[in-house]
Amino acid sequence: MTMTSATGAKPPAVGGFRLRRPAVARSRVRRPAVGRSRVRRLATAAAIAAAVVLGGSGCTVIAPGGPFTVNDEGGGDPLTKPFQRMIAIGPQRSWGPEETIRGLQAAMAAYPDDPTVMKAYLTPEAWSKWNAEGPVTVIENAYDVVVPPLDETSETVTKVSIKGRWVARINEDDSYTPTAGEWDREFELLKNPQGGGYRVSALPPGLVLTDADVQRAYRPTNLYYLNRTLPDTPVVDRVRLRLKTTETFAQTVLERLLQPPTEALRGAVTTSFPSGTELRSISSGEDRVVIDLSGPLDLRDLSTEAALRAQIRYSLNQNEVANGRIIEIQVNGESYSIDRPNSEDTWLEEGGDTAYYIHRGALHYLGKDGPVGAVAGAAGEPREGYGDFAVSRGGTPLVAAKTSTGISVVGIAQDATWQEVIKGSELTAPSWHLDGSLWTYDTGRSALLRYDPGSGREAEVILSPKLDGLDVTRLRIARDGVRVAVITGENTVQIGALTGEGTRRTLGNLQMLTTTAVGDKIIDIAWRDDEHLLVLVKGKAGQLLNEINVGDGETTGVPLQDRLESMAALEDRVLAEVKTADGGVKIIELSQDQQTWTPRLESNGGTPLFPLG
Amino acid sequence: MPPTKKRSRRRALRRILGGARRRLLRAAGRIRSVWRRSLQLQVVTSTLVISVIVVVVLGTFLFGEINRSVVSSSQQVANSDAFADRLQIADALSPETDDPAKSAESGKKGTGTLLDEVMEAITGSGENGSGKRYEVLVLNLTTPGQSRASGRVVPANVPTQLRLNLQRSIRDSKWDKPVGTIQRIRFPGDARATLTYVVGGVVHLNTFDQNYEVYHFFPFDEEEELLLNVRLAIVVVGLGLVLLLAAIAYLVARQVVTPVRLARQAAERLASGKLDERLKVRGEDDLARLANSFNEMAANLALKIHQLEELSQVQRQFVSDVSHELRTPLTTVRMAADLLYDAREDFEPMAARSAELMQAQLERFESMLADLLEISRYDAGAATLDLDSVDLRDVVLRAIGDSEALAERHSTRFELRLPNEPCMAEVDNRRVERILRNLLFNAIEHGEGRDIVVTLAADRDAVAVAVRDHGIGLKAGEDTMVFDRFWRADPSRARTIGGTGLGLAISREDATLHGGWLQAWGQPGEGSQFRLTLPRTAGADLKGSPLSLVPPEIEMRRTWRTAMTPVLLPASGDGAGHDDD
Repeated sequence: MTMTSATGAKPPAVGGFRLRRPAVARSRVRRPAVGRSRVRRLATAAAIAAAVVLGGSGCTVIAPGGPFTVNDEGGGDPLTKPFQRMIAIGPQRSWGPEETIRGLQAAMAAYPDDPTVMKAYLTPEAWSKWNAEGPVTVIENAYDVVVPPLDETSETVTKVSIKGRWVARINEDDSYTPTAGEWDREFELLKNPQGGGYRVSALPPGLVLTDADVQRAYRPTNLYYLNRTLPDTPVVDRVRLRLKTTETFAQTVLERLLQPPTEALRGAVTTSFPSGTELRSISSGEDRVVIDLSGPLDLRDLSTEAALRAQIRYSLNQNEVANGRIIEIQVNGESYSIDRPNSEDTWLEEGGDTAYYIHRGALHYLGKDGPVGAVAGAAGEPREGYGDFAVSRGGTPLVAAKTSTGISVVGIAQDATWQEVIKGSELTAPSWHLDGSLWTYDTGRSALLRYDPGSGREAEVILSPKLDGLDVTRLRIARDGVRVAVITGENTVQIGALTGEGTRRTLGNLQMLTTTAVGDKIIDIAWRDDEHLLVLVKGKAGQLLNEINVGDGETTGVPLQDRLESMAALEDRVLAEVKTADGGVKIIELSQDQQTWTPRLESNGGTPLFPLG
Repeated sequence: MPPTKKRSRRRALRRILGGARRRLLRAAGRIRSVWRRSLQLQVVTSTLVISVIVVVVLGTFLFGEINRSVVSSSQQVANSDAFADRLQIADALSPETDDPAKSAESGKKGTGTLLDEVMEAITGSGENGSGKRYEVLVLNLTTPGQSRASGRVVPANVPTQLRLNLQRSIRDSKWDKPVGTIQRIRFPGDARATLTYVVGGVVHLNTFDQNYEVYHFFPFDEEEELLLNVRLAIVVVGLGLVLLLAAIAYLVARQVVTPVRLARQAAERLASGKLDERLKVRGEDDLARLANSFNEMAANLALKIHQLEELSQVQRQFVSDVSHELRTPLTTVRMAADLLYDAREDFEPMAARSAELMQAQLERFESMLADLLEISRYDAGAATLDLDSVDLRDVVLRAIGDSEALAERHSTRFELRLPNEPCMAEVDNRRVERILRNLLFNAIEHGEGRDIVVTLAADRDAVAVAVRDHGIGLKAGEDTMVFDRFWRADPSRARTIGGTGLGLAISREDATLHGGWLQAWGQPGEGSQFRLTLPRTAGADLKGSPLSLVPPEIEMRRTWRTAMTPVLLPASGDGAGHDDD
């Protein structure tokens, strides 16, 4: 038997059994084919996998895609504002008296943050005597240090003085009172017996800061309290709060809000926080600010809840904290109230923004685009002898006007007629109060008069002891119903507040707001909002219109193009009467950028009016 | 008594420790045994170890790279912010001589105000400024009121080494060499320290010859958190990968090991005689080919065994047939031989001697033929038991009686150790007697005239008889060969008592027929011992024997030897070797 080939030959037979070599041979022939197909399948699978990986994310680190819905992640309100601080350094051996005094002043600026540096400047005796409490004196940045000629060999005391312009005073109630005049104080220096340099042995009490120190370390802050007689009305109180490194600005604000208001509003406002309320914590979550209070607040008593919410909301939001956030108020960790940023309330809406003007003794509406027409009834009819109009708040307001014999009032209705409600020939222009009463000052009797149209009684006299003997020429009650601006004489504006209730109601807390140089005259005042008063001054060089913050005296000039006769203001809108070249009058309005005036009513009308204010 | 207590406590402690050690060793032994027996465990463990090493190395490398890139990019951003701020400060504080308006203004305001303005711009503390994520500290140690800080930073937060480095730069007039450090810093009011990158640089004002140390504090807590998350992810993924690889290794090993295990089990069953055991063949892979080969091998083996069995059957049948066929002529020959033997006295001495020899060899031939027939019966499975409850003491005594004549001829004495109580068992009296007779003859033949000890013992389930001789003994491995047919320890040695060479083989078959054991022990020079163990009830399973296979004196000697060896200490006068406990 011979085998010609492994594949073609018949299998050999051994002992009657046929061996299975042909099968082996066949499989040998087939195996490469199987291998090739398997390799091909594997290669295809690998290529597909590689394509998927590379096409999907293999080539790109961040795969482009979208659009997809994203979640708002606010990260919480920081509850504070970035700020910088003075870092004081101790007295250096190489420093002379002037550097030592300037270093001492810098140490005063940093004193609340780090009292230890201040101590390094003072002799032990001076440190034990000196007291940082009391009002903070604010002087101009560029102050002088007057150093007498030094006797190097002498070990006696060197007296050095600081001279500069006195800018303001920050009182202990955190109110900021602008001041004027020179400020000059004396400091005593001793040579440091240990290693050179000087130490201060005597200095006036209290802190002396420069204007820059105050701007750096303090923030003007509006706190909101409640009108004593109309508790639905918030009243702003302006303070200067020092930023603290250990707490957030929101915490500083709220802790101050829990304290009584400044002197200017004492007795005139109340608060919804019961006495003894304390701030446990304030924290910020994703979308809300959580304020935890402790004290005698009753979780079940919701009578003051809205007022409390408003006080906190305004005191934070008006100072640019927690804007747009939900504010959750807790009492001892339990939820008391939740204030949403868009919740509707009537707070801070005191009047309505309807504008009026007078034409020939008749009251007309002034629309956005021009005159709308006279008001209904007697007030809209031309009448001689009526001036100094004032409009009350509400949907059916009352109009008051001064005549030669007194003050008359009429409603805006078809059949309404003028009624003289206050008699007197030396009355100031009438001013409406938020509560609907009419106020004027009788200079003849030196009496502040209040007439309530609802009561039907005659005008009552309100106590105003501080105005006795003063020449009150104008009295205007602010829209918050608390503050009263009074022009005394020709060139002084004082701000008071209506304190007390009922028969003990008093115009008190009078403080001078502004005064002008002798010869200048204050023509008109108008409340722009609760804290800003527009003061129109006629001086030798022309007219000046200042917007003064009644809280801290901060004054901003408003540019004038024409000579104004009178003005009215409400929030962003300021209207003024201007005499035209042809002897007529027109009404102009201050633009939104507060820089230019645009005509609102070209002729046939003057004396613009807004309700209240 | 304190010493006794102490000693007993120490002994207890030693016992506890010994017990623990034994348990540990047992557990380790078990683990080692499992490890050595399980290929799957070895594969999975190896994969686990290798993958852990790979994952640790790769993870460390990967994390190092990510760490480096995150930290370095953050540092770069921080450095550039710090540089821009220093430039801004330098620009703001340097009076511009070509701008008289600004110069006059700056003179009026003082550098303090300028510093305030630039700090407002840098820190975002102005009216419309937005806060930065870092804090700045500006220090001027020579001019009062010229140091500022943002946020809560105080000079004490500056790392000492950084400050010293910066002051050295100032001394060396190297103002353009900012330094940086990463440290955990606890700012005032913070409960815990924050990881912070601090960059210190110098702003040098040539005009006033003043130096402002400017420190930037960049919080790195976000980077730290990111890297912590990355590390956690790497650890979790690595762990998952290791477990996945272990699972894959387990599955792959299982795919390979399971067929191998099946093959082993099949081989074991094949070895135990189940010749029709085969493996299932699936696919065409190596394991399938192994299964094919195994099946082929099993088939060939079964064929061969079948052929051998047939051959053996043929041989056995042949022996049986021959034996039967030989009986008839042998009977005739025997009758003739008996006649000759009876008439031998009438023959010549030579013829008489031949007649005697023929008679003797014929007797031997007959007994051999009887043994062959007997063993043929066993081979044919025709042997049956004639059971009877007997006292084995009687059986032993009868066998001794039968052997006494032979023993006397060999000057051998029997020493009997029989119990006092009857040893009852269900046995075939004749067969057991034959076994004992065979054992006794064997002992007499190989006992070299020394005493033969016959011991009988019984327990609840079994009875046993041991026959001990003190002859030449058995070599290693001969204790099983003695039961082979026609086996002879020394082929050159002649049989003295006319044994056929089938006695022990028949005895073993007899014992097995009873469900009992016949076992042998022997050592060269120590003699040998044969032990017959039978169940009390025929057919019951034996669990043990009342007698030990190894003679007690040998066992005792062994125990002494192992026990005595460690305490063979050098003798000394003070009684060394005593137990001090």
